[in-house]
Amino acid sequence: MHYCGDFRTTYEKDIEILQTPTVRIGVAACLAFLVVFPFLVKGEYLWVGLQILIAVIGAVGLNILTGYTGQISLGQGAFFGVGAYTTAYMTTKLGLSFWVGVPAAGLVTAAAGMVFGIPSLRLKGLYLAIATLASQFILEWVFLRWEPVTGGSFGIVVPRPSIGGYVFDTDRSFYYLVLAITVVMVLFAVNLVRTRTGRAFMAIRDHYISAEIMGINLFRYRILSFGISSFYAGVAGALLGHSLKYVTSEQFNLGLSVSYLAMIIIGGLGSILGAIYGAIFMILLPKVLTVLTTKLTMMIPGAAGLAIAMEQGVFGLIIIFFLIFEPDGLAHRWKMIKAYWKLYPFSY
Amino acid sequence: MEQGTPGGAPMADGNTANNHEIREGKEKMKKTMKIAAMVAGLAMVLSGVAFSAGTIRVGHLADLTGPTGDVGKPYAEGVQAYKTYVNAHGGVNGKQIEMQMFDYAYDKNKAVNQYKKYKEDKVVAIEGWGTGDTEALAGFVSADKIPYISASYSAHLTNPAKTPYNFFCAADYTTALRAGLLYLKEGWKEKRAPKIVFIYPNHPYGIAPIKGGKEYAKELGFEILGDEDVSLKAIEANSQLLSVKNKGADFAWIGGTTNSTAVILKDAKKLGLKTKFFSNIWGIDESTPKLAGGAEEGALVMAGSARYGDNVPGMKLLMSVEKTPQVTHYIRGWVSMMVLVEALKRADKKGPITGESVKTALETFRDFDTGGLTPAKITFTSTDHRPFTSVNIMEMQNGKLVIKKTMNLPRKAEWLGL
Repeated sequence: MHYCGDFRTTYEKDIEILQTPTVRIGVAACLAFLVVFPFLVKGEYLWVGLQILIAVIGAVGLNILTGYTGQISLGQGAFFGVGAYTTAYMTTKLGLSFWVGVPAAGLVTAAAGMVFGIPSLRLKGLYLAIATLASQFILEWVFLRWEPVTGGSFGIVVPRPSIGGYVFDTDRSFYYLVLAITVVMVLFAVNLVRTRTGRAFMAIRDHYISAEIMGINLFRYRILSFGISSFYAGVAGALLGHSLKYVTSEQFNLGLSVSYLAMIIIGGLGSILGAIYGAIFMILLPKVLTVLTTKLTMMIPGAAGLAIAMEQGVFGLIIIFFLIFEPDGLAHRWKMIKAYWKLYPFSY
Repeated sequence: MEQGTPGGAPMADGNTANNHEIREGKEKMKKTMKIAAMVAGLAMVLSGVAFSAGTIRVGHLADLTGPTGDVGKPYAEGVQAYKTYVNAHGGVNGKQIEMQMFDYAYDKNKAVNQYKKYKEDKVVAIEGWGTGDTEALAGFVSADKIPYISASYSAHLTNPAKTPYNFFCAADYTTALRAGLLYLKEGWKEKRAPKIVFIYPNHPYGIAPIKGGKEYAKELGFEILGDEDVSLKAIEANSQLLSVKNKGADFAWIGGTTNSTAVILKDAKKLGLKTKFFSNIWGIDESTPKLAGGAEEGALVMAGSARYGDNVPGMKLLMSVEKTPQVTHYIRGWVSMMVLVEALKRADKKGPITGESVKTALETFRDFDTGGLTPAKITFTSTDHRPFTSVNIMEMQNGKLVIKKTMNLPRKAEWLGL
């Protein structure tokens, strides 16, 4: 029996993740698509798909910190690096396996995130952003200079993981591994925000004094949020390192941190789905622009230089347009579209 | 690829024709089949012939519009110019080189995306560009067995035990620094130890040669005064150079790019430093007089090639292809393609060209003569990818680069990769 509109009779129903049959079918279709995706494309596009999955983990992690707990972080890129270097060090220098390296990367990064999150007790908003920016610079310096561990300016060559005798050597096999990890981590995040911890995060975001009066331990939850978010960054960074087979300090710069912040702003702050949309958008857009400029160059050979230069400009422009016309992100836009079609054609 | 279609099309036509004839009798069908098979067979033979005389696919990643575009463009043009020349003059043993340039604008993600495309296209080698793409792809090229020739001269890429598929055609950054130190020490006449500072950005490219360079400086008897950090994007370097001045350095190493080096030289002149500057391969080139406005007088650069118009045998060909004077980066691009073409020729003679066979061919290079375009002849072995350990030391005099001396360092085993 289905009722018109949002009609729930129990609390369990209210916090259900997949609330309607349409959503259930949609999610199932998405998962099915993700499973067959590597057989539909190859080479370049498979690689882009792999990068999107990794970015989803990172973006969901940052959204827990920034979107749900309301603490801006400009250190996500460096935390990626901590994860990548941890697994690189463990797999190549200590000879441990990938299956130890990646969880360890998550934990070490979580610890690093909690340390750099300590200023969050006193600082909010822009001030916290600058404090986390410091973590970005400090960690970048460490990557370059702590040579016995990070390989200094040379970096570390890391292997792809293996289980038994099977090596995840191709992008396709590695894609499935990353897909499995991504699904687990996204599910964990979706569940996290429905728990006491998740609600505490949101209470802190909405009004930290009220939250404290309600009995939420601000210090504990703020640090916990940094820890969880950094754990995600660490795992994503470790996967990125293994996917590239090479870890160097150049990969984890401020630009990476900013692009992750852009992902969750474009996707939608405080929404897991938004983080996913944002990750897809930010990874796919440059690729689409490259394809378009290549096409354009083929048609008008003289415009090559201009078209490629325009690419950067168009990228910036699209992001600005998004912030002006869709400040609540892609997740919100998606909600609007759903609402429109739900009542179509009688929208009033 | 085009050769495949003629083979396939008659087969398909033959099959549809068969469908009608089944009803008419098996006799006719067999005949049609035979013809179809013959056509297909012929097409395959033809395509086989066409394939062996066909093309060789090579990738080319360049930076034309990104942050290193000012030097990346002439380098890429040198690479392409040599390819065009070879294709117009018989190709590689009759085969044409198909090499599409891709401008990745120094964006690592773009470089990796394009690399995946090249891999899909089954290229047998890639002409690369700078630190960004080379480092990002170092893991991939060794796993996928695709030789990668680039202009990122970090010494760690010369050790095949770590990066077996990376090659380059100039002295590595550390060797260049050592050559500079030796040159300066040879010209040092005073009794006291010469004092030296190292100015470089906190960036893998700047840091790479410092450790090996300092060890050698100590060995030569330099007094090392310390380091100064000048970023690649610096617009002034007053405080760093004031410190150099106060320390009383006789020499200063600059590990930057043309822009940051020009900034350092200008501020040094403004502060009245007596220090002699020597920069790495990317620090000073023909564009420096314009950027530094006269402050570059007397500064040294550890160049990896001849200059346009030099009286060396290899220059005649280059000048007949490219009439307008070019910077040294163009010449190094030209040389890197010359080396790759030679490797393709050698690999082709041995059998089918694959990434592995091109790498093996590159490792057969013993004193390969570039016609004097490089400071020395090129040698690659399976345990040592240092092309040579010689450097053309050039000095800026009245807005022109003047070759002072070609320094030849020993190819020491313990310097490999450091």
